[in-house]
Amino acid sequence: MTAYIVRRLFATLPVMAVVALFVFFLLRFAPGDPAAIIAGEDATSEAIEAVRAKLGLDRPMVEQFFVWVTQLVRGDMGVSIFSNLPVTRLISQRLEPTVALTLSTLFVAVAMAIPIGVLAAWKVRKWVDRVVMGFAVLGFAMPVFVLAYVLIYFFAVQWQMLPVQGYQPIAQGFWPFVESLILPSLALGITYMALIARTTRASMLEVLSQDYIRTANSKGLATDRVLLLHALKNAAVPIVTVIGIGIALLISGVVITETVFNIPGLGRLTVDAVLKRDYPVVQGLILVFAGAKVLVNLIIDISYAFLDPRIRY
Amino acid sequence: MNGNPGPILEVRDLHTQFSTLDGVVRAVDGVSFDVARGETLGIVGESGCGKSVTAMSILRLIPPETGRISSGSIKFEGEELTTLSEEEMKRLRGHRISMIFQEPMTSLNPVLTVGTQIAENVVRHLGVSWKAGRERAFEMLDLVRIADARRRLDEYPHQLSGGMRQRVMIAMALSCDPQVLIADEPTTALDVTIQAQILDLMIELKEKTGTAIVLITHDLGVVAETTERVVVMYAGRKVEQAPVEALFEEPLHPYTRGLMGAIPRLDVEADAAGTRPRLQEIPGLVPILTQPIIGCAFAPRCGFATDRCRSERPPLVDAGAGHLVACWEVDRVRRAA
Repeated sequence: MTAYIVRRLFATLPVMAVVALFVFFLLRFAPGDPAAIIAGEDATSEAIEAVRAKLGLDRPMVEQFFVWVTQLVRGDMGVSIFSNLPVTRLISQRLEPTVALTLSTLFVAVAMAIPIGVLAAWKVRKWVDRVVMGFAVLGFAMPVFVLAYVLIYFFAVQWQMLPVQGYQPIAQGFWPFVESLILPSLALGITYMALIARTTRASMLEVLSQDYIRTANSKGLATDRVLLLHALKNAAVPIVTVIGIGIALLISGVVITETVFNIPGLGRLTVDAVLKRDYPVVQGLILVFAGAKVLVNLIIDISYAFLDPRIRY
Repeated sequence: MNGNPGPILEVRDLHTQFSTLDGVVRAVDGVSFDVARGETLGIVGESGCGKSVTAMSILRLIPPETGRISSGSIKFEGEELTTLSEEEMKRLRGHRISMIFQEPMTSLNPVLTVGTQIAENVVRHLGVSWKAGRERAFEMLDLVRIADARRRLDEYPHQLSGGMRQRVMIAMALSCDPQVLIADEPTTALDVTIQAQILDLMIELKEKTGTAIVLITHDLGVVAETTERVVVMYAGRKVEQAPVEALFEEPLHPYTRGLMGAIPRLDVEADAAGTRPRLQEIPGLVPILTQPIIGCAFAPRCGFATDRCRSERPPLVDAGAGHLVACWEVDRVRRAA
């Protein structure tokens, strides 16, 4: 297993290299010029040219790429064109809210979806199944920002139970931190809940018709043990796969949620950096996102072996 | 058998039906039989004759979405099972009546260890600790002669052969010392040599524990070797019942005769050309169970059938010495022997 993990970690290097290559050149081929933005609207072309030279953007693209890559290998992502702050520091400052939001959303989604999916499969074609899956479809169809504003209106404005917006770092106390995450996690989580619940239901339905479930029932085991151990563990591989896809999707979903709830995370940083064509920051962020996705994939793959003893690496 | 009064299991006029798109299937259509304490009863018949459904009905494992026991009575130790609550049934299953199935490859949970699957039964029904449950699992694996039982406890089903898995199923089924073990085609999916080993093991354990066995099979060879009494089923009905020697000595129902004629025999002389007589197949097809069967269910395929057979359902009559048969023409069948 350890050998497998090490091998997989090494295999991420070429993936990251390809991502680096693409993000660098795609950004430079995209319209928009950071030098023009810095120099201001009324700047002359000489002034823009001067800014460009100062930023090193007048050099040949391939040269710029190699300068960036050489820095990267040393763990240096360069400095922001606008704030002159190191990209690594910008990202690490914004990392906590995003990681917290992603994990809490995931928790909300999984904690709701798996019981719902199991219940629907158990009571298949009964009214419980129809009601629960109806809500799941509704949740899936609702855009995150609509749901977010509805939640804010009721929970924060009308009933004043939770803060409207903003983020409290965990260092400033656990409860304010949790309170600031509840609404964003719900808004973002309900979409993924629907996805995971549907997969759980489908996977459970398949498993529940298997011979070994009949055996478990013939042993007179309690219903919860049959459902949650005998069936769910067998149904887990597709569910975990979808959760993994969900995490990948979440990373992009975070951008909208952070904007609506005014959370200073990576999503906001990304939007700002892209709008200003802050090349080093965008490049650094994309690499971090890509790295996160690769890591999630690895964790999902490893988890298969724990769920199903027949899978060997 | 051991002086206890009454049979351990009494099935009376059992009807089990399934609702399908083609209509109501009468899978079990008025079947009655007793199982005495410690005896081995065989239930024989072709695929689809209702023998597995009978077994599932006894444990009330018919999926409620599609099927139900529509009438009849099942008594275990004098207690009516058809009216027990689901919770009371669960206390009974795997504890006092247990079951093993045809497919050892798929009947064990692939993601749980063998030890867990046996121990959970013991923990559930005997209320012991997991440690004690595991110890019981070890004893049971040892009892069904799985070598290196201690190590096997932590193995998963895919690490075992088909024969070993069926041994595990038997160990699991017997782990709480049930009074009745229902074995639904327990050897059908196994190699012939393994079949014999598993049957011997079941009989040996039965002698040791006094568990009554209901052995469901389509294989008359298995019946002859292992059972004491036999029930022959056709189209959801019991057509014949007899002590095993009597049945093979003189089968009385034309269907039973047909089944026996379909067994290859080595004691029949080959003729000068070196060919043996063709195996007798039973002509025709099993009836469609969605349509009500008038008269004897076997009549359309029976060489002895008369107009009465096609219009009136023959009752089970005692032909002497506990040999029951449901046939109007039993005297003609006898003479034709």
